[in-house]
Amino acid sequence: MVDMDAFAKPGKPYYLALGMEGSANKLGVGVIKHHLGPLDENNRAEILANVRSTYNAPPGQGFLPRDTARHHRNWVVRLVEKALKDSGVKVSDLDCLCFTQGPGMGAPLQSVVVAARTLSQLWELPLVGVNHCIGHIEMGREITGARNPVVLYVSGGNTQVIAYSRQRYRIFGETLDIAIGNCLDRFARTLHIPNDPSPGYNIEQLARKGKHLVELPYTVKGMDLSMSGILEYVDGLAHDLFSGKKSKYLYDEEDGERITVEDLCFSLQENLFSMLVEITERAMAHVDSNQVLIVGGVGCNERLQEMMGIMAGDRNGSIYATDERFCIDNGIMIAHAGLLAYRVGYGNELEDTVCRQKFRTDEVYVKWRDD
Amino acid sequence: MRDQIVDDLQLRIPTVPLRLISQGAEALIFMTNQHPYLPAGVNPCDVDNPGKYIIKYRPPKPYRHPKLDKRITATRTSSEAKLLHKLYQLGVKAPKLIAIDAPNGLIWMEFLGYQLPDMRYSSLKNWLWLLERESDRDHPVALADNVKDCCNGIGRSIGVLHLHGIVHGDLTTSNIVLTDEATLKPSLIDFGLSSYSGLPEDRAVDLYVLERALKSTHPVYAEKYWEWILDGYHDVHEEDGKRGRKKYSETISRFKEVRMRGRKRTMIG
Repeated sequence: MVDMDAFAKPGKPYYLALGMEGSANKLGVGVIKHHLGPLDENNRAEILANVRSTYNAPPGQGFLPRDTARHHRNWVVRLVEKALKDSGVKVSDLDCLCFTQGPGMGAPLQSVVVAARTLSQLWELPLVGVNHCIGHIEMGREITGARNPVVLYVSGGNTQVIAYSRQRYRIFGETLDIAIGNCLDRFARTLHIPNDPSPGYNIEQLARKGKHLVELPYTVKGMDLSMSGILEYVDGLAHDLFSGKKSKYLYDEEDGERITVEDLCFSLQENLFSMLVEITERAMAHVDSNQVLIVGGVGCNERLQEMMGIMAGDRNGSIYATDERFCIDNGIMIAHAGLLAYRVGYGNELEDTVCRQKFRTDEVYVKWRDD
Repeated sequence: MRDQIVDDLQLRIPTVPLRLISQGAEALIFMTNQHPYLPAGVNPCDVDNPGKYIIKYRPPKPYRHPKLDKRITATRTSSEAKLLHKLYQLGVKAPKLIAIDAPNGLIWMEFLGYQLPDMRYSSLKNWLWLLERESDRDHPVALADNVKDCCNGIGRSIGVLHLHGIVHGDLTTSNIVLTDEATLKPSLIDFGLSSYSGLPEDRAVDLYVLERALKSTHPVYAEKYWEWILDGYHDVHEEDGKRGRKKYSETISRFKEVRMRGRKRTMIG
């Protein structure tokens, strides 16, 4: 059993941490409270504040690092103030400041880490750098109560199948090129659909109306997958559709109806999600687990959750998923994972708070677990 | 759920006795004594174990769209069968293809292997484990000449595959079996993840996956085994002449790169 209270302040029965997340187009700030003792069903983490501001690019465009970083710089002070106000916590009562150290886009990460360093010196609080993926995993475990699940982490920048083994979250399978969220976002751009609330959500809504399954490449390579070719192919179909081409492949082979944008969204989702579920199942068979936890922005997708649920059900297992408050990037998960690390003695000196765009999940030594 | 799948399959082929011997994420492996179209008790003359057949079944995956599911099952089943047949034509030891029903995801093939003295199946893993248990400092039977010859043979088989532009895709010590108790002739099985590839990268990853598997399942003698396997792999390329030598040096230099690569290094499995 890991001693989670070796670094507790004498006489204080709880910990408070403020977390700041800004690895992509969402800026999030959260405040979390842990009571002394290991976390379990009777000792849950308390969420005191969880605020977020999203930068949305205009339709047909992606978010550029420069503009996203500017958004974060403009909003970070207001969000921190709001989080503190929501939580009713005094700065002097905080134990540590947690920030996303990576992976993510350089400029947005940088703008948040600058704010974190400043606050740390102003308030004289230790800094804890958090791996973004670990943040998702730990928050997902805390919210759902899943003990040792296979984790499917699917977001705009990451696609990984992860399982815990000997104090590391190990990557069993991942994308060889672009991330699933990136694939969906870029297809949304091709279709010129709005980026608000998120491109993936809008694709999901369109996909619900699709009824013809268009044949797309299916590229699973063992436990890894590749998605850039699929995007290229479906983009091509969409262009042909918009330019009014009459090619055979733009008509359904069974009822002869013309393929619609909705059909393309539907087919893309079915294809990509089948690939995800397949590699997750392979990882589950490999590590002999029957729990699966979906985290990351794409994890909100109800069709993905449904497919994963069927697969897990067939293996007599269960699926754990969270809602948009915790699936989509947020500050609270950084606060939570950071606080877990802080409680076992982790912390970053000012000079090692440099953020890393390619910070890998399996680099983190998970000292707070010993199962 | 597994029982349901087995029952469904049994309904489809009611006269064939089925015994489930293993289950992976994608397929179920059954053993049967019934040849698909010969009368009971009659067997082809060129199989290792008359009266023993393997049925590999890819059941439908209910989470997938039915159209997508049919397509994936059919293409994977037929490509695996084609590959088995190709290996037979090339004279590489592998289970012989007997029958295929691609739309239903069924492959019927020859059973390879025998029972080890400890009653286990003669996969390389079980055999090495058996020898490793019997080994001690004075009598390292796990390092005897017959193990060396066997490892050479494995290296040769992989080499022949690679020379013909085929990669296995899932080389582990449980996917290599000994087919004959006297000669210890090895054979590769489970070509479910195999593909055609001319890239040194794919061949290197193939080797790397096997090296990792050896190290994790046979940590004590892995280095020796691996050295012998590579010897066999080298020899078969050498015998192929100039083309083989070129291919070998490409693969090995890429293999060293793959080994150094951080991404795969920290991964298990």
